[in-house]
Amino acid sequence: MIGTASEIVVSPAQHNRVTLRRTLISCAVLAAALLSAIVLMSLLGSEQLPARASLCALASFGTSTCGLTQDQFDILFQIRLPRIFLAAAVGGSLATAGAGYQALLRNPLAEPYLLGISNGAAVGTMIALVFFGAMEWTRPILAFTGALAATLAVYRLARGRAGATPERLILAGVIVTTFLSSVIVFVTVLMDATRIRSFTFWLLGDLSGTSKALLPVTITITIVGALALTLHARSLNLLMLGERDAFDLGVEVGRVRIVVFVVASLLVGSSVAASGSVGYVGLVVPHLARLSLGSDNRISIPAASLGGALFVIVADTVARTVIAPRELPVGAITALIGAPLFIYLLRRS
Amino acid sequence: MFTRRDSYLSVLVWLAVVVCLALISACTQRGTANPGASREITDDAARRVNVPAKVDRVVSLAPNLTEIVFAVGAGDRLVGRTSYCDFPAEAKAIAEVGDTLHPSLERIIALKPQVVLVSTASQLEVFTNQLEGQNIAVFVTDPHDLEGVFRSVGQIGEIVGEQDQANLLVQKLRERTNAVEAAVKQKQPVRVFYQVSGEPLYTAGHDAFVTDLMRRAGGDSVTGDVPGAWPKYSNESALAARPEAIILPSGGSMGEANSRVAEALRQSPAVLQGRVYKINDDHLARPGPRSVDGLEEMARAFHPDAFKK
Amino acid sequence: MLEARDLTVSYDDRIAVSDVSLSLNTSEITAIIGPNGAGKSTLLRTLNGQLSRSAGTVLLDGEPIERFNRRSISRRIAVVAQEAELRFPVTVLEFVLGGRFAWATHSGWGWETERDLHVAESVLRETQLTDLSARLMNELSGGERQRALMARALATEAPILLLDEPTANLDLSHQATLLRLVRTRCDQHRAAALVVTHDINLAAEFADNILLMKHGRTVHSGRPEAVLRPEILQDVFEIRVLVDAHPVTGGPRVTPVHEKLI
Repeated sequence: MIGTASEIVVSPAQHNRVTLRRTLISCAVLAAALLSAIVLMSLLGSEQLPARASLCALASFGTSTCGLTQDQFDILFQIRLPRIFLAAAVGGSLATAGAGYQALLRNPLAEPYLLGISNGAAVGTMIALVFFGAMEWTRPILAFTGALAATLAVYRLARGRAGATPERLILAGVIVTTFLSSVIVFVTVLMDATRIRSFTFWLLGDLSGTSKALLPVTITITIVGALALTLHARSLNLLMLGERDAFDLGVEVGRVRIVVFVVASLLVGSSVAASGSVGYVGLVVPHLARLSLGSDNRISIPAASLGGALFVIVADTVARTVIAPRELPVGAITALIGAPLFIYLLRRS
Repeated sequence: MFTRRDSYLSVLVWLAVVVCLALISACTQRGTANPGASREITDDAARRVNVPAKVDRVVSLAPNLTEIVFAVGAGDRLVGRTSYCDFPAEAKAIAEVGDTLHPSLERIIALKPQVVLVSTASQLEVFTNQLEGQNIAVFVTDPHDLEGVFRSVGQIGEIVGEQDQANLLVQKLRERTNAVEAAVKQKQPVRVFYQVSGEPLYTAGHDAFVTDLMRRAGGDSVTGDVPGAWPKYSNESALAARPEAIILPSGGSMGEANSRVAEALRQSPAVLQGRVYKINDDHLARPGPRSVDGLEEMARAFHPDAFKK
Repeated sequence: MLEARDLTVSYDDRIAVSDVSLSLNTSEITAIIGPNGAGKSTLLRTLNGQLSRSAGTVLLDGEPIERFNRRSISRRIAVVAQEAELRFPVTVLEFVLGGRFAWATHSGWGWETERDLHVAESVLRETQLTDLSARLMNELSGGERQRALMARALATEAPILLLDEPTANLDLSHQATLLRLVRTRCDQHRAAALVVTHDINLAAEFADNILLMKHGRTVHSGRPEAVLRPEILQDVFEIRVLVDAHPVTGGPRVTPVHEKLI
């Protein structure tokens, strides 16, 4: 698998190496882009808001209305901004989880959805919605449980004599995904017609239901998860080149594997509980990060997290403005952008 | 190497193929045409349907159509209904054939109806070939507004041979409708938001049946020109719309699912003035005789002073 | 430095290694030879702690190997395997720097120090890969890749080297180069090496000791002249062999005698 690296001018190897400085610069650039996206996308929506006044109100962190009407102020700070932050959290979570799986399973195609983790989280969330509807906090918890259960099922299924090779894991993941998809369809059919519509929409990714209580939790989990995986980046660098080699070189493979699985399940669970399954983020964003910054996880994982947040913010802005005042599921947009991009990436390799 | 076991196997395979072919041809036997008298009625999908002169076995595949059948006095001729058809109470005694989207073809055929009433064209492709092969007529009646309901009543009345009852019913319904429209005619239409579900936020669009009802009831649906029937709506636009009244269809077959106003509307004039109205969803979403009940309920909610008796 | 006593390893109800003892000493190369399924690789993998044993002990610097955590074992024992999985693009320098992981102050995170870079550059020089250090690993030829694997193992500065059929995919000149590297390491840096190999003559030339295995057991061990005797070899490999003196080195040279295929 060769990316653009083969086309760069071959400078002394030292200069291509990932260093702390390069990582900080890349992350700073991405963080700046993310911040601009947050500000710019909050100016866009199905309702027109006066740009200057909105920017002024944003700059004042909501302390001053800057001439916005109460309704405009509410739209900006109660509806749009929370939604944008949710999009960032969901995108960051899914991209980080994807990067983690790809490194651990040594396969650039490993992705939360493909491995059945997203569906496990979705089943967990559906159980929470149906049986504990009013108690919002049960959703991320059951989503995490579902994601973890799916992970264990996949791992069990994939265990062969040679251990769980990446190929077997992905195959097991496909089995678990399709099984859980049937479960989801089954539960959906049992529901009455009025709920089917909203569930189908949710299953494709829906960021409109930003719960005031859960948003801080989702954001926290994204940050904690990204940090946790980044702190294992060096181990993941070695794991990416073979579990046995990593073991020989001093990586505690079993421990790192558990950390990645648990953290990734947490990330996927929290984002699916908040917004349903948003596809392709965990596949395309880490890929792009590695392609442009190298396979070293110390730079590609944080870059993927920031990039994922950026990607979903933009995709969601499209989803909520293109046929305004109606909305599209954000998963449809990420697929529309992600699928061709993915085909292009595949062809390049 | 071709062994004896292989030859036994291939014989078995051939036998299986022959049996399957025989079964398939048997299943698609076209029934002999019924020489009895029949008439041709054009349905809402512009199909000319051959309906027997005398119909005493009908299956309804939609709750609103079941209500219409009973309302024209032909409940005794209904032999099959969907699991959602729960009104009137007598309907519950009738055999179920499944749900609206995926009814059991076998059950329908076993009931030996002469006509199957369907309400959407989507059900059509699935059924028509197979049912008409069994000499069962499929009739589409799909009202999108109140006028359409009146027309449906007429069509169904004609099919079951209760034209008089049907006409009487339509007349009564029209009287009530006219009364409502007259009462609210002079009033300023109330800006209303129809909330199908709060989270995620769904509303009634241009093509929704209830949009027509709201207009007649003296309401101006703030989402009345949004394309589609049940669009997913932006929270921002709902907030900016500042509706004066909110309709929460609930109860009935919907249960308590839609009992809370969407977050985005919590500060709307409707909520602040307490003008949030829960109306039986079956009166609003089922295009049938009870839609006039829904019309009256909404009109009373929008313009209470016009109905002081 | 590394010692195994009465080692028995079994999995899947099969006994792969049975009652094997060996000792790796400073500046010595020990070769393990034997037919397929003799348990050579299993033995090697048990010595570095990857496979668990059913009986016996493994002593590292005189201590039971259980006393050491993963990273301290990796600082003392380096493994050179046959191939690397290269599913992601990585440069030769990055690959070799992977060997410095065991010396990182924080496990899992951290950046390479000046020392790390210095060690990497010197092993690249030793393995003659300096010119290729900026290239991607999967652009290298088989022989170059093997040298990179060797370089990574050397970068760990581990005094014990375990090599699992390191010459399997190499041509003649590269085979010799690689083993010469091992020899130099052992002589100049007082390392100890264990080489699992199919190539009996290479073992005869470079090894100080040879361990001959069959069906998981030690058949014979000792200096090449003592082990590489026709009776012993014929018995183990079930093929006729001729053993004479190598015209240049003087050590034993083993030539299989194949029956003519009529």
